Amino acid sequence: MLELPVLELKDVSKHFGGVRAVDGVDLGVARGEILALIGPNGSGKSTIVNLICGLFPLTAGRVVLDGVDISGMPMHARVTGGVARTFQNIRLFGQLTVWQNLWVAQNSGEQRRQNFGRRWFGGSRGARGEVERTLEFFDLAHKSNELAANLAFGEQRRLEFARALSAKPALLLLDEPAAGMNAEEIDQLDNRIRKVRDDGVTVLLIEHQMELVMSIADRIAVLNFGRKIAEGTPAEVQASPLVREAYLGTPEIA
Amino acid sequence: MIDLVQNTIDGLMIGSSYGLLALGFTLIFGVMRRLNLSYGPSIMIGGYFGTVLYLQFGAGPLVVAVAVVVGAALAGLYVERLCFAPMKAGAAIASMVSSFAVWMQLEQAAILVLPRHTYAFPPLATGAPLEFGPFAVRIDHLVMLGCALGLAAAVQLLLYRTRFGLALRAIIGNPVAAHLVGVDVRTVMPLAFAGASAIGGVAGFLVLAVDQQVTPMFGMWATLKGLIAMMIGGLGSVPGAVLGGLLLGVIEVQSQWYFGPQIRDLAAYFVLFAVLALRPRGLVGSLSEASTQKA
Repeated sequence: MLELPVLELKDVSKHFGGVRAVDGVDLGVARGEILALIGPNGSGKSTIVNLICGLFPLTAGRVVLDGVDISGMPMHARVTGGVARTFQNIRLFGQLTVWQNLWVAQNSGEQRRQNFGRRWFGGSRGARGEVERTLEFFDLAHKSNELAANLAFGEQRRLEFARALSAKPALLLLDEPAAGMNAEEIDQLDNRIRKVRDDGVTVLLIEHQMELVMSIADRIAVLNFGRKIAEGTPAEVQASPLVREAYLGTPEIA
Repeated sequence: MIDLVQNTIDGLMIGSSYGLLALGFTLIFGVMRRLNLSYGPSIMIGGYFGTVLYLQFGAGPLVVAVAVVVGAALAGLYVERLCFAPMKAGAAIASMVSSFAVWMQLEQAAILVLPRHTYAFPPLATGAPLEFGPFAVRIDHLVMLGCALGLAAAVQLLLYRTRFGLALRAIIGNPVAAHLVGVDVRTVMPLAFAGASAIGGVAGFLVLAVDQQVTPMFGMWATLKGLIAMMIGGLGSVPGAVLGGLLLGVIEVQSQWYFGPQIRDLAAYFVLFAVLALRPRGLVGSLSEASTQKA
């Protein structure tokens, strides 16, 4: 791989007291790929996402984004640096409208380019147009003025995805985006993730829904007890005896 | 009847300063979800800045006003750095208690620097009251009312019509999520805090100019009046702050007129009690009320 990876985790560890939630993980995400991170419950997947976006400090190791070490950066600076995420348990701004939820996030995407006045008080016509287009893409345009708290569950999930995308990330972290979705919704999600990738966003996907993972992931990394036990194409990972062992007794893998 | 109307006018005028105090208070509460007991003492420090400039250098009302506002904002920032920035989310009690400690500290600092109990403060307008038929209105009172309504409208516009306001409301709703969609919480919070203290500074300047004196006790007075007006109006609500302030002013003046000065504060506390018993969220729905709905 000649091109620099978008994201590199170098020997990353996170210990909570004596628990090694993440233990010496190396991981590279190449530009424009969809990398799925899978593993049994408690294997450290969500912790890794939290470490990348800066919710917790690292115990050891480094997180490198586009060649820049972001390990010590505050969360908002990482967003302006190009990392956005969704949450497994939805965290929208319930008392703001759907439109405003995106507008807040889009603000941060523009911080790099705009002066103080426009950043905090105005907003160009183009920026508003982008919010409209994002709403269309996620089939939320008709809900534009509803409070996020009043949306149905599926709509909240879409809004969470849309909000993350509004920050115009180079790298999008999706933390179990399919949780609680029916087959049709998962199908739409599949299409949207592909479309987002085709538009040039690199995706790191955490998901238990194996059909989705096997369908869209270019590569898969497998975690167990905080360590990476396998990495490769979906076919390679499915063939790995270590992975089969880690998942033994759980019905989730086909 | 004339007394009743004149008292109401006076009450509204005095109440507008309470409304201004409550406005700054409610902003801090709305954004931080923390009670800042050092709010009044920060304003008192601003008042001391102003009175030093007045007594030492003969500064005019405008310079003094700027000094009070800037002084209050700086003192507010000091309180934020000391009591609110280091406290992790959820440590509301720790923040409140440390803001009480800083209150005592600021009060003692003021007494150390200017040991006399009372210092003169420049008046704002010394002209005769304006007459409207049988009714009279002081000019400085009118300025007070104008400032209260104007600043409340400005804050409301800032909150609901600008991206800065949207960022603030996002923080109010979900601080972690706001940080994670790129809102620079560590910049926005102190800015909002200093701005709220500056609004308190405007109130402080106007009240001190009417009283023409400043004492270290002004801090406690400002915290109390702001707190009561805010609680009556509704925590975290801009219109509520103004309404609560005006109502408190009218209650105080009317009860003083009809029942005497001993009853004045008693009546105010009684109304506070009644409002909290009947409508625990205050008269007007608040920012924080909306944000308790979970997304």
